[in-house]
Amino acid sequence: MSLIFRLASRNLLQDRLRFVATVIGVVFSIVLVNIQIGLYLSFERMVTTMIDHAAADLWIVPFGTKCFEDASLLDMRDQADALSVAGVTAAVPVLIGFSEWTVPSGGSTPVFVIGSNPGDGGLHPWNFVDGDLDALAPPHAVAVDRTYFERLGISGSGAITDIRDQQVRVAAVTSGIRSFTTTPFVFTALDRAQAYVGTPANKVSYLLVHLAPGTDVEVTRRFLLASLGKVEVLTSAEFRDRSRAFWLFGTGAGAALFAGALLGTIVGTVIVAQTLYSSTKDHLIEFATLRAIGSSSAYIHKVIICQALFSAVIGFSLAAGIGLIVVTMTCDSPLPIVMTPELTAGLFLLTVAMCVASAIAAIAQVTRIDPVRVFAQ
Amino acid sequence: MTEPVIEAIEIVKFLGKGAAEVHALRGVSLALHRGELTLLMGPSGSGKTTLLSVLGCLLTPGAGSVKILGRSVAHAQPEELAKIRRDHLGFVFQSYRLFPTLTALDNVRLALDVRGEPAQPAIAKAMNLLETVGLAHKAGAFPSELSGGEQQRVAVARAIVGDAAIILADEPTGALDSENGHAVMTILARIAKDFGRGVLVVTHDPRNFSFADRIIHMEDGRILGSANP
Repeated sequence: MSLIFRLASRNLLQDRLRFVATVIGVVFSIVLVNIQIGLYLSFERMVTTMIDHAAADLWIVPFGTKCFEDASLLDMRDQADALSVAGVTAAVPVLIGFSEWTVPSGGSTPVFVIGSNPGDGGLHPWNFVDGDLDALAPPHAVAVDRTYFERLGISGSGAITDIRDQQVRVAAVTSGIRSFTTTPFVFTALDRAQAYVGTPANKVSYLLVHLAPGTDVEVTRRFLLASLGKVEVLTSAEFRDRSRAFWLFGTGAGAALFAGALLGTIVGTVIVAQTLYSSTKDHLIEFATLRAIGSSSAYIHKVIICQALFSAVIGFSLAAGIGLIVVTMTCDSPLPIVMTPELTAGLFLLTVAMCVASAIAAIAQVTRIDPVRVFAQ
Repeated sequence: MTEPVIEAIEIVKFLGKGAAEVHALRGVSLALHRGELTLLMGPSGSGKTTLLSVLGCLLTPGAGSVKILGRSVAHAQPEELAKIRRDHLGFVFQSYRLFPTLTALDNVRLALDVRGEPAQPAIAKAMNLLETVGLAHKAGAFPSELSGGEQQRVAVARAIVGDAAIILADEPTGALDSENGHAVMTILARIAKDFGRGVLVVTHDPRNFSFADRIIHMEDGRILGSANP
């Protein structure tokens, strides 16, 4: 093995305090970036959760809909018009809207109601831990997520309360269907959702279009647009992109998360650059000696870059460990931090790039070394 | 006489700028030959170290030329000069310039590592050279664990491990007591004689005269004379 690694590691470890400062800089930076990007990914997933779980080939949405939660209303006559288009086998109505849940022990809390008739291929709850979809068939039956028991003031199935003075009975419980707005979801049948939200019976938020196998999606979309009034017809992917774009960039939330990540990268780069620079400065006479005994510039650059990579690997390992702890600690929170293999790999590359970029100042300094200084006493 | 391993022809060098400019070398010419140990003597400020730096391709002369093994190094770029140094020149410094974080063996091996030599043969060569300077038993010691004389012997081993034809030593005994100084000069003389290298030693110490094949005296940037003791 070349002495480059040995020189680099020992140069770094010679001043332990400075090395610790370097590693802390890397760890701080990468954990911050990890949290920001992890939140971004989590947010990105959560804002499209409902779209992801809806069985639809096309979505008929009110014109100008910005995101899933933002729908105005469609007329139920659109359903009949949609069904008249060739290739459309179903146009399942879904109603969404905010309402007020009466907490049994007193007071109330806002909820987000999603109404879709069980068994018609609309938008239904998943991950049941108590009850099932059929449990939503009886009158007043709703499904809620156990994450929100405390907020809703209930302890499980069988709880009875009301929404906007309409009776509610918790008939099923899910796990992990959380809202990034922190407002609990309440799943129920369409007619009860209309009652809970206060929407006329002929109004819905979306129509989920199912197509016969082999139907050309684009052609059908054009026919639907021609047949229906002031609506938009979107594929699930388009609706997902639109929702993400609204929540992540329309609201500035995504930009704030990216700004935090960028800040973390800059802080990390500056800290590592500063410590590498001062380490190089302390070892200038050794680099001058290397130059005097004939080392190429590339050899010296390799030593410095190796120092940077050494800091990167140690710092990243610690940061990844801390990141895993944070992921575990937030997994049951309303906005869990997500860590994917791709994110981990990306963070490692970022760490390496950050540390190598940090080495530029040190390399520039070494490049200016005059090897004659080796003769100085 | 064989062809010189290194030759300086009418070297002129100015150091500093403006009012601080010093005419450090004023047309210096000299040649070193294989198997010869030459002492370069003179008072402080006479230009000895500047001449050593020019011969070592660490400083570019203002006028005149340097030939290494018959080839002029004029117009060579910094990376070419570095290659010339690693292929043909070995340096010994008064303050040893060992790497404090490397063992004696690794310090010697470093001169081979910068040439890209594979680890195993490099380690064997470095170990062999440590034996030559009588320090095989200290191969694993760090510089801080070695005496001044031992450190200088490690530095000598580093200078010769790459088979350099020319060894340039700047006050190699300056920081040593007489016993260690004598040991280091003995090794340098042996390198000249037994290994057939051209060795140039800058020194103030008259006790080193006995090792010299030739003594060159410098003053005010000029060579005043050359004598065979």
